[in-house]
Amino acid sequence: MSGGHDTHSHGLNLTLHVWRQKNAQDTGHFETYSLQGISEHCSFLEMLDQLNEQLLREGREPVAFDHDCREGICGSCSLVINGRAHGPDRETATCQLHMRRFHDGETIYIEPFRAKAFPVQRDLVTDRSAFDRIIAAGGFVSANTGSPQDANALPIPKEAADLAMDAAQCIGCGACVAACPNAAAMLFVGAKVSHLALLPQGQPERRKRVLAMVEQMDKEGFGNCGNIYECEAACPKGISVENIARMNREYLCASLTARPQGEAKGGF
Amino acid sequence: MLSRFGAFLRSSIGKKSLMAFTGLLLILFLIAHVVGNLSLYADGDGAKFNAYAAQLEALGPLKLAAELGLVILFGAHIALGMRTYLENREARPVRYKDLAPKGRRTLASMTMPVTGIVILVFLVIHIIDFRLADFSKQGLAALVIERLSHPLGAGIYFISMGFLGVHLWHAFQSLVQSLGFRHPAYLPAVKTVGMVLGVLIAALFATFPILCLMFKGQWPWN
Repeated sequence: MSGGHDTHSHGLNLTLHVWRQKNAQDTGHFETYSLQGISEHCSFLEMLDQLNEQLLREGREPVAFDHDCREGICGSCSLVINGRAHGPDRETATCQLHMRRFHDGETIYIEPFRAKAFPVQRDLVTDRSAFDRIIAAGGFVSANTGSPQDANALPIPKEAADLAMDAAQCIGCGACVAACPNAAAMLFVGAKVSHLALLPQGQPERRKRVLAMVEQMDKEGFGNCGNIYECEAACPKGISVENIARMNREYLCASLTARPQGEAKGGF
Repeated sequence: MLSRFGAFLRSSIGKKSLMAFTGLLLILFLIAHVVGNLSLYADGDGAKFNAYAAQLEALGPLKLAAELGLVILFGAHIALGMRTYLENREARPVRYKDLAPKGRRTLASMTMPVTGIVILVFLVIHIIDFRLADFSKQGLAALVIERLSHPLGAGIYFISMGFLGVHLWHAFQSLVQSLGFRHPAYLPAVKTVGMVLGVLIAALFATFPILCLMFKGQWPWN
């Protein structure tokens, strides 16, 4: 090899420290692997595919990791790479991260998303179903919307639509939790609360929704928000922490003004 | 009503809101405290400062109520801080090898529990020094100058004010966020006001150990 930058013909030689854990009960540990000749054009997950092929050839157990669409929209891929959720780049999921961001001879530490609410199942695979339970608690509109109506029948201000879409970009990957020094899930829940609270369809259940989602978030054992904003920096969709402030205000209003069910008689 | 408030306080957002609200009131207390203390500089013999202290004493039950309020404010803020700190540690039982910055953290935001604990230790020293001490003979001003003229006393007060400044650097914009008032239109102003306010409060408090150490109460401007 003539130098660190001439990687087109030879590829990158890497030292990987990968978190290996047999199951949820195992304590886990780092294992070290050497990889030779990795193309800088391949994605981070393709690099792991090559590691697994190498491990299989050697008769060893391949590394388990989550992935699906590999184009940054499904939220399956995770990984904390050199201490950063989804690696070094902004608004980039691990599957969109390319090996050109690394240099020849680099040592890379690969860990799972770490949080009590995201227990490791195996190696780099975590159980992120806590997010599903938060959505099931209130991240939806239960009104029957019927067949599609005329586009202008329900006026929505452009600004509200845009802010709702910004929040709805969340793919639920959990990088916010992984990057948070407190393992808090505020950005995810903030995005999901904001998304529907901003739209007219979300109004009837607006208060009930935020109360239920925050209650479920707390039950799952996520941490508290310290307003450090590492979540926003780690989010592959660039969701703003403004959504956390909106959730705080929605929760404050709902807590202070929610009425006991059945208190209002509806005229009878 | 009570159960509703209890549920709110047990929730993560309720805890943060109350921490923010008590923090805001504590910042207001610090402003009043430092402005009152500045009367120490008004004359050479500390008469104005002693008069200010005597005025507060003369409030009688009102002063007691204010002190009780401060105990509740500090107590709630400290208890919530410790509780959330422990919960946050519990929320990540297996630590990362090294959680590297993604780009938004600051020294102040990452060290709120540490700076908070240093301020708590200082608070205990401060209360023993000046609230519980008997200054009936020499007067409060003389006691303050005596304590802060000593290098050890001055050092403890000066360093503690450094920690207070770092704590306040993050505090104001954080409480605005926790209470849900964040808006892009006035976010830059909130950040600037918070930082200036934090540094100003800490710096004004820090002048007392520096100037007492230098001049032992014989202010050159008097």
